[in-house]
Amino acid sequence: MALTGRLGLLALLGAAVPLLLPGWGALFAVWGVLLLGVVADLALAGNVRALRLHRHGDTSVRLGETARVTLTVENLGRRRLKGRLRDVWPPSAGATPRTVRVDVPAGERRRIEMTLTPTRRGDRRAVTVVVRSTGPLGLAARQLSRSAPWTVRALPAFPSRRHLPAKLARLRELTGAHVALIRGQGTEFDSLREYVVGDDVRSIDWRATARRADVVVRTWRPERDRRIYLVLDTGRTSAGRVGDIPRLDCSMDAALLLGALASRAGDRVDLLAYDRRVRTRVEGASRTDLLPAMVHAMAPLEPELIECDAAGMVSTLMARVRQRCLVVLLTELNTAAIEEGLLPLLPQLTSRHLVMVAAVSDPRVGEMAAGRGDLASVYDAAAAERARADRRRITAELRGHGVEVVDAPPDEIAPALADAYLALKAAGRL
Amino acid sequence: MTPTAPAGAPAAAQGPAGGDAPSAREVAGRRWRSSRAIVAVLLALAVIAVILAALRPSVSPDALDPESPGRDGSRALAEILKRNGADLSVARSTRDALRASTPRTVLVVTRTERLTTDDIDRLRATPGELVLVVPGPDVLEALAPGVEPAGVSFTRTAAPGCGLQAATLAGTVDFGRSDTYTATDPLAACYRTDIGHRLVQVRHHGRTVTVLGSARPFTNEHLEREGDAALAMNLAGAEPSVVWLIPDPPEPGAERQKSLGDLLPFGVKLFVLELLVAVLLVALWRARRLGPVVAEALPVVVRSAETVEGRARLYRASRARDRAADALRAGARERIVPLLGLPRSSAQDFGAAREIVAAVAQRTTFEDAQVGAVLYGPEPADDAALIALTDVLDDLERQVRQS
Repeated sequence: MALTGRLGLLALLGAAVPLLLPGWGALFAVWGVLLLGVVADLALAGNVRALRLHRHGDTSVRLGETARVTLTVENLGRRRLKGRLRDVWPPSAGATPRTVRVDVPAGERRRIEMTLTPTRRGDRRAVTVVVRSTGPLGLAARQLSRSAPWTVRALPAFPSRRHLPAKLARLRELTGAHVALIRGQGTEFDSLREYVVGDDVRSIDWRATARRADVVVRTWRPERDRRIYLVLDTGRTSAGRVGDIPRLDCSMDAALLLGALASRAGDRVDLLAYDRRVRTRVEGASRTDLLPAMVHAMAPLEPELIECDAAGMVSTLMARVRQRCLVVLLTELNTAAIEEGLLPLLPQLTSRHLVMVAAVSDPRVGEMAAGRGDLASVYDAAAAERARADRRRITAELRGHGVEVVDAPPDEIAPALADAYLALKAAGRL
Repeated sequence: MTPTAPAGAPAAAQGPAGGDAPSAREVAGRRWRSSRAIVAVLLALAVIAVILAALRPSVSPDALDPESPGRDGSRALAEILKRNGADLSVARSTRDALRASTPRTVLVVTRTERLTTDDIDRLRATPGELVLVVPGPDVLEALAPGVEPAGVSFTRTAAPGCGLQAATLAGTVDFGRSDTYTATDPLAACYRTDIGHRLVQVRHHGRTVTVLGSARPFTNEHLEREGDAALAMNLAGAEPSVVWLIPDPPEPGAERQKSLGDLLPFGVKLFVLELLVAVLLVALWRARRLGPVVAEALPVVVRSAETVEGRARLYRASRARDRAADALRAGARERIVPLLGLPRSSAQDFGAAREIVAAVAQRTTFEDAQVGAVLYGPEPADDAALIALTDVLDDLERQVRQS
C-alpha cells in the first residue's frame, strides 16, 4: 500500500474546514471522507498480482555501449491498471528510465523500453519490478514487487581493437605475401617455385632442380599452429588503478588484442585467469570462437585483494600444457611479488616454455619523477626514481632468466605486446 | 570510446545514451515547473491573509471613550445623555465602576478585551443593569450565560423585529459589521439575521443583561445614522444614572498568565491538528519508496602510484635527504650513461665513477670536481641544497644530451 500526494493535499485543504465550522464533528467528517477515499482506491486499484511480465532484448553489451531490454507488461486482471512502474537494476547497470508511468487496460499489454549503459564490466541482474497501482481517485495505491529475471553481461570494451588492422598488415608481411623469405629458425617449408634473380642461392632445392630443367628454390613461411597461453594475474597487484582503469582491465585489453592477432596468425590461443585458484579458463576454442569466448570469460572477472600464488599458477600451467608454448604472463612488476613469487619458479617454467611478462606501468610515476621546484615535488621525484630503479632491476633479472619483458603505459601496452609477439614470430622463436 | 577513457568511471555512463548535461536554462525551467504549484498555493495563502486582515475593523486606543471626540469616540452620546438629565459617570476601572453602581444604575461595559479575569469576577457582583457592548467570549460566558456567539453578519441595517421597547422606538439601526448571538431563554432578541440576533436581552441573577453585537450605535461618527442614537440612548438611559466602564489597558503582569492554548479559539486548534495530520500523510507519501534500495559490491579503488606517493611522504617526514639524493643521482646516471656510450651496468657501479665523471666533464661546461660532487657527492646539507641538486642534475643531463 502507498499513499499519494493528492491525499496530503486534500488533508491540507481540509484544514480550512474547522476554521469555518469549529467543532470535532467537521474534523471527523473530513477524516471520514479521506478514509473512505483511501479504502475505495485500495479496493478499486488494478491488481498487480494479475500482471504477467516478460522480457526480451540484449543479453550482452560491450562496456560503454547501450543495451536495450524490453519489458512487456500484460494485464490479466479485470480492472485497468494505472500507476507507476520501476524496473530495478543495480546502479552500475545504468538503467534508464528510472520510473515509468503505465496505463494498461484489462486484457491488454504494454511494452516498456529500458536502455542499459553499464559503467563496469560484469553481469548485471535485474533485481525486481515494482508496480504502484493507483486507484481511480488517486488517493492511495497498491504497491508490489514482481520478479522478472534478466541478465545483461557487460563485456570488456576492447578499445585496442583499432590497432588490429595495422598489426594484421605486419603479420601478412611476415607470412610472405609481400617479401621473399629466407630460410630461418622457426620457419617451415611452404612450397617450391622457380628461381628468380635475387633469391638466396642457399634456398635452391637441388633435388627438385635435378628432376626438372629449371632451377627451383624452396620458400619458407613462419611456423603455424604454435600454442600461446595467456595468463591473467587477478591478484592484488591487478586491482591498482592506472589513471582511472584497474590494471586488470588494461591487461585484458592487451590479452584480447594478442589473442585476436595470434588466432589470425594460425596459432592456438588459450587463456587462464589465476590468483590463488583458477578464476576462468578458455581452452581449445576454434579460431572464430576464440574472441567471443575470451570476452565472455573475462567479463565477470574482478581483481581479488589477495597475493597471487605463483607456485600454484606455475604448477597449473605445467600440468595443462605439455608441449612447448609461449606463456604470456600479464601481471605487475612488483618487487616483492616477483622476487618472492615468480623468480624462484622461472627456471622450471622457462625450461619447457618461452615466457613473456607484460606489465602496465603507471604514467603518474613518470610525472612524479619530473617534479621539480619545491621540497615535496623533489621528494616525490626521488621516490619515483627509486620505484623506477626497482622496476629496472626486476626487468633485468627477468631478462637474465631469458624472459621477454614488455613494460608500457596503459594506452601502449596492447600494441607493444602485439609487437613483441610479432617480433618473436618473425624471429621464428615461437 | 577511446582506450584512455576511464571504463569504470561514472563519466563513462554518459555514453551514447547519456546525452549532454542540461543547460542552466533547462535546469531552471525544470525547477520552476516542479515548484510552481507550491508557489501558487503560497501566493494564494498570502492573498487570503491580506484580504482577511483588510476586512477586520481597526480599533483606535480611545474608541468608545466618552471623553473622546474622535470618529469612534463616544463623547457625543455622553453629552446627549448628560443633557437629557442622566447622571453619567465614567469609570476607568472595575473598582470605580462597582463603587459608582447602585441597583438603579445601568453599567455600560465597553472594550471588554481589556478586562482581566479578576475584573470579570468583580463585575459579577454589580448590582444594577448591564449593557455589554461587543463582549468577548469569556465576558459573555461570565456575565450572560446562555448567550452564545453565532457568527458575524455583514448586513448593515436591520429592523428591530422584536418587542423590546428600546429597539422598537429606535426603529431601523445601522450596525455595519456585527456579531450575532443566540440565547436559550431571552427576554428579548432583536435585529435578527440568518444566523442569530444582534441584540439579545437576558435575565441573569435578578438583573437584566443586554448584549449588543456592534459598537456603531455608540460612536460619534455613526450617531446620526438611522436610529443609532436612539438605540444607544434607550439602552444606556434606561435608568436615571449611567456608569460607563471603559477599562484602562491592564498593567503588564496584572493578569495571571494565559497560555497560548487559552487564547486560541477552538477552531484554530483543530486547524493545527488537521495540519499535523496533513503533514503526516505527506510524510507517509514521501517515505514510501518505489522499490528497494539496491546494494552492490563496488570494486576496490587503489591508485597504483599510491605506494610511490607514500614513500615520498615518508622521505619528507623523516627528512631522508641522503636516500632522496641517492635515488635522484642514480636516476640521472642511469639516463646519462647510455648517452656517453658506456655500458648501462656501469651506471650503478662505483668502480666506473672516475670514467663517467671524466666523460661528463668533457661534454659539459662543468669541471671534473663539480661533476663528481653532483653525481657522487655527499648528502645535501639542507633542503635548499637538495632542491639545488635536482636543478644541477637536470642541467647536467640536458648538456650531455645536447653535446
